[in-house]
This record gives sequence, C-alpha cells and structure tokens, in this order.
Amino acid sequence: MASDEHPLEGWDPGAIDGDGLAEVVERAFDYRGDVTIVRRDGGEMVGYLFNRNADSPRPFVQVFAAAGGDPVSIPYADIRSIRFTGRDTAAGNSYAAWLRSREAAKAAGPARGA
Amino acid sequence: MSVPLSQMWTVATYVLKQRLRRNRRYPLVLMLEPLFRCNLACAGCGKIQYPGHILRKHLTVEQCLAAVEECGAPMVSIPGGEPLMYPDIGRLVAELVKRRKYVYLCTNAILLKEKLEAGLFTPSKYLSFSVHMDGLREEHDEAVCREGVYDQAVEGIREALRRGFRVTTNTTLFDGASAIRMQMFFDEMMDLGVEGMMLSPGYSYSKAPDQEHFLRRQKTHELFSKMLSNPKKSWKFNQSPLFLQFLMGKWDFECTPWGNPTYNMFGWQRPCYLLQEGYASTFKELMDTTRWDGYGHKSGNEKCKDCMVHCGYEPTAINTAFASWKGFKATVEATLTGRL
Repeated sequence: MASDEHPLEGWDPGAIDGDGLAEVVERAFDYRGDVTIVRRDGGEMVGYLFNRNADSPRPFVQVFAAAGGDPVSIPYADIRSIRFTGRDTAAGNSYAAWLRSREAAKAAGPARGA
Repeated sequence: MSVPLSQMWTVATYVLKQRLRRNRRYPLVLMLEPLFRCNLACAGCGKIQYPGHILRKHLTVEQCLAAVEECGAPMVSIPGGEPLMYPDIGRLVAELVKRRKYVYLCTNAILLKEKLEAGLFTPSKYLSFSVHMDGLREEHDEAVCREGVYDQAVEGIREALRRGFRVTTNTTLFDGASAIRMQMFFDEMMDLGVEGMMLSPGYSYSKAPDQEHFLRRQKTHELFSKMLSNPKKSWKFNQSPLFLQFLMGKWDFECTPWGNPTYNMFGWQRPCYLLQEGYASTFKELMDTTRWDGYGHKSGNEKCKDCMVHCGYEPTAINTAFASWKGFKATVEATLTGRL
C-alpha cells in the first residue's frame, strides 16, 4: 500500500489513457521499483520501466522484464494500466538508519580508535 | 597539477581538433557504467537504487567497447556500481588500454588488493585507479556508511602503488566538510604516494537517502577557497586548475552536460551523468535530440541550480583553457606554479 514514505508503492491507478496514461508513465519512469504493465489485450508484464519516449510518432516505454532477457518496447497505445507493484528501492531512510545504528554501537561500547 | 604529459598532449590535441572542426559539442570523458551493483550503499549516492534483477545485470565487454568507439572520447571513466565487481573488468580494461584510451577505474578499493593479487591488471600509463576517498578515516567511513572502509582503501592504494600502477583519488565534498581536515587529508594522500587528487562538490541526487548535506554554491566557494587559497606545493590535483578555481569562485562557468556522456545498460543517459531524464539508443541520437539549452546553471532548471560537479564543469574548464588567452594563461600559470 502507498504510504508517506513510499508514496507510489502499491499504487494502482486503474484503467488509464491519454494525458492520464502519460502522467502515470512519467511516474513509473521516475519510480525505482518494478511495475506491472497491463496491456489492452489483458496480458501483464512485471519489470523495471527504465525509459519512455512520448515525443516519438508512436510513443513507447522500455522495460527490463523481472523474468530476464533483453529490454522490451511497449507502445503507449497498448497499455491499459501500470500498477506500482515492486518495492520502491529509493524510498526509506538508509542514511538515518545507519546514523542510528552507529550511535547505538557507540553507546554500546568504546569507539574504535578512541 | 599531476596529469602526465602524454595525457595532457592527447587531450590538448583532441580538443584543438574539435575546435578546428568547429565542433561545438564534443565528449571529453565517457562515463561507462558496466553495472549498478555495489558493495557499499553510500548515503550520498543515487546510482544503485534498483530492483534486484537490474542490479544483477551488466553490460557485455562488446557493448562497452561499441559505446567507446561510438563516443570517441579520449578518456573513459568506469564508475558504477563498483566496477571491480564487474566479472569482465580485467578484459574490459585491457581492451581499452589497447585502444589507447586513458582509463580511470573509479573504485571504492574494497576489492582492489584481491583483484591485483589475482593478476587482473597490468600497469600502464593509460590506466589509473581512481579511488573513492571522501576525507580522513572518520569522514570517509561516515560518507560510505561503513566502518573500516578507509583502511581497506588505503591498503588497496598501497598495493597498487607497490605494483607500479597509477593511483589517483576522487573526493566528493558535502556540507559540513572542514577545510582544515581536508587539508590534513591532502597531506595524508600525498604521503601515501598517490599521483594526484580529484575533488568535486556532491550532487543532490533525488534518489539519494541523504538530501540534507549537499553543498550550495556560496558554501562551495567558501569551502574551496579556504581549502585551496594557499595550497602546499606537495599537493597534486589530477584535474583542470581552472575547475578548482571555479569551485573557489574565481570563474563563472556554464555547464557542459555533453562533456562527460554516460552509457549504461539503459542506453545513453540524458542529459548527463547526474540527471536521468531518459535514454537515447545511440550516441548520435543523444547529441542530436537532447534539448541541451534546458540544462545548466543559467537555464533556470531547478535541478541544475546548485550543481558544480566536475562531470559538467570540468569539460567547461578544459575548453576555456583552449578558447581564450586568459584561460590558457591561467592554466599554464597554475600548472607551473601550483598556485590556484
């Protein structure tokens, strides 16, 4: 589910097209987790959406499937929806977590080199 | 400055050729990212936040070499990820050296000693290990979010120097850096015997965990002026003196985002090493179709406002050295006297 820390993780915008689709594609492009692309024919593909070209005569996205293989291009026109199903690897607070663990380690014993 | 004469000559003739051809936009250093996988997770890094299946992927050597040929830059920097985790790093470097490309292998050096002992590399004037060192032990270990990495890096540097390799350091500076501690760090690196040091302020990657400690422009000028206004003769920097003077506030440069183009498994990254606004499938497409005027300090682009990072401004500094007598004179003076 989406949360403040993971605002897009778990998001399902439902069926989309036109400007709505272009906006969701932009969000998926910026998202550092896998998404599930639902095609208009009902097929689904889970993968990392790493590129899009909205200026092309036939706009498309490019995806590395989680199952492996070469990148796949999917025209915007074939996309019914994009669900944000993978973990957002850029979310969270690893720096804060590291600072906390460092402080905890210092509190637990004498600092190295002290 | 510590850049070897042969490298200076290669770069100078390359830049002059581009200028004679009236080629306004040309690459100077190819940033070749063969993988995103890393054995560290530094707080200021926005390069490695990807799903597991992406982190397990890497470019083939053939893909890397095709990108090098396509780009044509005289220097190739191999960052990542951690390039020493790339399974074909020995072959890739050997092929680049064979092509007389000046290679900067950017590493955290955790694996350096092990890879050197395995005989993966041969010393060459074309190959330099550019070791990530963000300051003295305390600052460095804090920047990389792991205790003990500084000592491992120093061990790797010593081993590389002992075996006759070129070794430089690359240092990213964040808000809160102490000029005095950095000067002590310069002394320590020179005592260690590295050929030269590279410095740059950090960039505020939108995907980096730590967003609070990036330097803004005024603070960058103040910090670099304090650090470098009276440099010791023993300090050697492996970068353009004009770039360092720019960081000190002595030059008003504009970014050259095409100067250090970036290639990785996604393609040619638009517009630069730091921003990811899309990918082109060929180098020509990158150069011809990127809206370059939308980037740089003066463009008004919020993402470029405070950026003073070397991948955008060092190419400007090098170009300035060849574009005006003032730039040429300042470069020669700083190179000969060591004063900035």
